[in-house]
Amino acid sequence: MARLVVGLGLRFPGKTLFQYPEIILGKAAGKAVALLYLWWFFQNCAENYRSFISFLAVSFMPETPLMVFVAFALIMASYGAYYGLEVIARTNQLFLPFVIVSVVLLFFLSVPEMTVNNLLPVFEAGMIHLVKSTAAPLAWFGEVVTFAVFIPYLNRPGQAHRVALFGILGTAAIYEMTVIGIIAIFSPALTAGYLFPVLNGARIIHLANFLERMELVLVVIWTVAGVMRVTLLHWVLVLGSAQWLGLKDYRPMILPVAVILTALFMLIHKGILEEYYFLAWVWPLYSLIIFEAGLPFLLLAVAAIRGVGGKSG
Amino acid sequence: MAFLTRTRRSRRAKPAGNEQNRSTGGRESTVPSFRDMALSSDLDANLDRLKEIFRDCSDIVFREFLFAQKEQIRLALVYTDGLADKSQVSEQIMRALSLEVPVAAPEAEITRANALHFVKMRGLCIHQVRESARVADVVDAVLSGDTVLLVDGHAVALINGARGWEMRSIQDSQTEVVVRGPRESFIETLRVNTSLIRRKIKNPNLKIEMFKLGEVTRTDVALVYIKGIASVGLVAEARNRLARIKIDGVLESGYIEELVQDDPYTPFALLHHTDRPDRVAAYLLEGRVAILVDGTPVVLLAPTLFIESIQTPEDYYEKSQFMTAIRMLRLLALFLSLTAPSFYVAIISFHHEMLPTALLLSIAAQREAVPLPVFVETLLMEIAFELIRETGIRLPRPIGMAVSIVAALIIGEAAVQAGMVAAATVIVVALAAIASFAVYYSGSVTVRLLRFFVLLLTSVMGLLGLMTGIILIVTHMASLRSFGIPYLYPVAPLGSADMKDVIVRAPWWAMFTRPGLISKKNRRRMAQGLKPEPLPTGGERHCWRKAGLTAGRPVFCWSRFFLPARFCLFRFSLCSTPVRTPGSQLFLLLSAA
Repeated sequence: MARLVVGLGLRFPGKTLFQYPEIILGKAAGKAVALLYLWWFFQNCAENYRSFISFLAVSFMPETPLMVFVAFALIMASYGAYYGLEVIARTNQLFLPFVIVSVVLLFFLSVPEMTVNNLLPVFEAGMIHLVKSTAAPLAWFGEVVTFAVFIPYLNRPGQAHRVALFGILGTAAIYEMTVIGIIAIFSPALTAGYLFPVLNGARIIHLANFLERMELVLVVIWTVAGVMRVTLLHWVLVLGSAQWLGLKDYRPMILPVAVILTALFMLIHKGILEEYYFLAWVWPLYSLIIFEAGLPFLLLAVAAIRGVGGKSG
Repeated sequence: MAFLTRTRRSRRAKPAGNEQNRSTGGRESTVPSFRDMALSSDLDANLDRLKEIFRDCSDIVFREFLFAQKEQIRLALVYTDGLADKSQVSEQIMRALSLEVPVAAPEAEITRANALHFVKMRGLCIHQVRESARVADVVDAVLSGDTVLLVDGHAVALINGARGWEMRSIQDSQTEVVVRGPRESFIETLRVNTSLIRRKIKNPNLKIEMFKLGEVTRTDVALVYIKGIASVGLVAEARNRLARIKIDGVLESGYIEELVQDDPYTPFALLHHTDRPDRVAAYLLEGRVAILVDGTPVVLLAPTLFIESIQTPEDYYEKSQFMTAIRMLRLLALFLSLTAPSFYVAIISFHHEMLPTALLLSIAAQREAVPLPVFVETLLMEIAFELIRETGIRLPRPIGMAVSIVAALIIGEAAVQAGMVAAATVIVVALAAIASFAVYYSGSVTVRLLRFFVLLLTSVMGLLGLMTGIILIVTHMASLRSFGIPYLYPVAPLGSADMKDVIVRAPWWAMFTRPGLISKKNRRRMAQGLKPEPLPTGGERHCWRKAGLTAGRPVFCWSRFFLPARFCLFRFSLCSTPVRTPGSQLFLLLSAA
């Protein structure tokens, strides 16, 4: 998928996902595809806001209305989006080492609580079930489609393949580490029962009667990482909608996009359990089939057949 | 306000020139515009004109005397009383011209025609004399402390550099105190300050360009850089930014700082300021420019990185290991001074479950008697602390001491004992206050301001508010640039080679490049392979010889062999071995393993 997206991006240097469908498919169909993507990014961004906030709300401040959280998150995201990709990237660069170090630290601190036998038996459920359940994580990683928006802004677009792959592999490694750690602590059955197993994992860390309540670290990681993610998607949306409407500057779109996102955020789910069900069973197939694999493949195929765009990828 | 409107109107009207008249000629329009005038060859006309310009300036002295020769030639001196060195004026100029020239050169044939030449070449015993034919130069020179000599019959003034006024002597630095390193600091006189820099960098490439800023004050401003090290673009940019300043007066470098910084609204210091010549010299050697302003010991340095607010000159004089540890301490201090009070408020009022039980109980016991909510209490303590700090600085020193003692006693002791403030709050606020002083002054001012911002956010949303504050601040910092250089460099964007001077202060033998983004072309600072290594002894020496390494010390770079350079956070050295045959490289590798 990453190769697909990067291939598309490199074919049309200087153009984003919201611009090249027009070149590939013609004006009307192209606008329609771009609009579809815009919709998907809206939904995606709202889902991200939702999951970012429901963690904080459910586990730390259950009595605070969600709107307050949204207001804070939107302030941060809009501020980052206002300054643009470069600033978002730099902010991220500053925070990333802390996030990674904290995740690894949490993993190692919880080692005493782990039981390796919890990981056994491997492949118990059989291959088919395994493939089916990889859909959700695959869809998360499939969000590499977002990359199609940054490629024109890379200093060295030639390295886009490597960057995308490195990003996915790095994320996957951290993700694997966390999942394995948590399952080793709680056993699969218990893990499945928790809403936020990592939080529970962090809660049980006790070291030398001093290092306790590590969930604080988790909140910090979650906030930083969540905000970075949301900021990025917010920027993508703002840029996309501005490009779709043919505006020269994306900044006027920040406020309208924030308003739409707030409304969408409040509408999409009734509660955390519904959100979970949706994210686990509906969202992956929906986004994976249409937006992360289907449309990019279609676009690339049409582009190749019609011979549009530069030769590369 | 009146001045401002007038300026705006006249700027629209006037294309160029005539500046003096614009800004001074409001109340009394009798001062003629002299900016473009030339001197006349008639001494009386010149003196009349100068007297008209300097009317009611009681400190300007006009002194006419005769050049004692057969054909008597009239001379006139113009200088500012108090700025010119009186003994030099009377001894080296007047005495020399009126008494000693006739004695020393009685045979010389002095006429009106060659008088100027003769005065300059044989008469004046002044180290620095220059000529000018413009009235404006004469006026500037007189007001800057020079002594102007007018010769009858010549439309040229001789400007004598016989300056001498009362000035402070060079003292210890007040703002950056070091244990190890030079003590001297800049003073209020620009020329002395440039000489302090020149004493450190004895190189003709050290350039000192002069500007006159401030249309009323005519303040001397110097742009200092090292040609060949500072990038051409940076110097041109600094020159442009200085040249576009049109203001009535420049009394301190802060005026210039706010007029040239990249982001007009940021609370962060985008130009570093210092009063230490060694710091200025170090920055110049890294390819930056310094802006010196007459009348203030504070020198501006650009471009600046954020990380420099936790660096001190002493970092580079003291042992690198020790200073690395101190730097980490300062980073911690920076973080604490920004977040400690907010963190306290967040924990106490939102997330008590985070505290270990014993601590929670002790804090709960303290807080039971306290009437105020913890946010208000912390805010009040912060304001009280700022009050103490402010009065401590502004008051005359003896009273200031008294104030701080009284304040510390009352707030530290009495308030806690009376049960108005919890002891924990006092501890946290004091900790943040002390921590803020571990950061360089301009940085600590910013952090103290932002502390309130974060505190406010935290009072609304607890830990999320704290994180919101931090993320907003970092996003803002990531957007800043100082003369085009990203403010968070080398952390973001990552300059892996320059991480040698951020958290770690690498030893000098490892810091052989200048900061990459700043010194664009000329990056090398020292020769490679300067890492001191004891010479191999006995059998080892034999081995080295066998490897073909007879001359020079073999230098081994672990990063080159074990890690691709990109992944090294800081490269200790990019050194090369003296002999680069594959065999010797292999041998080196093996022997090191």
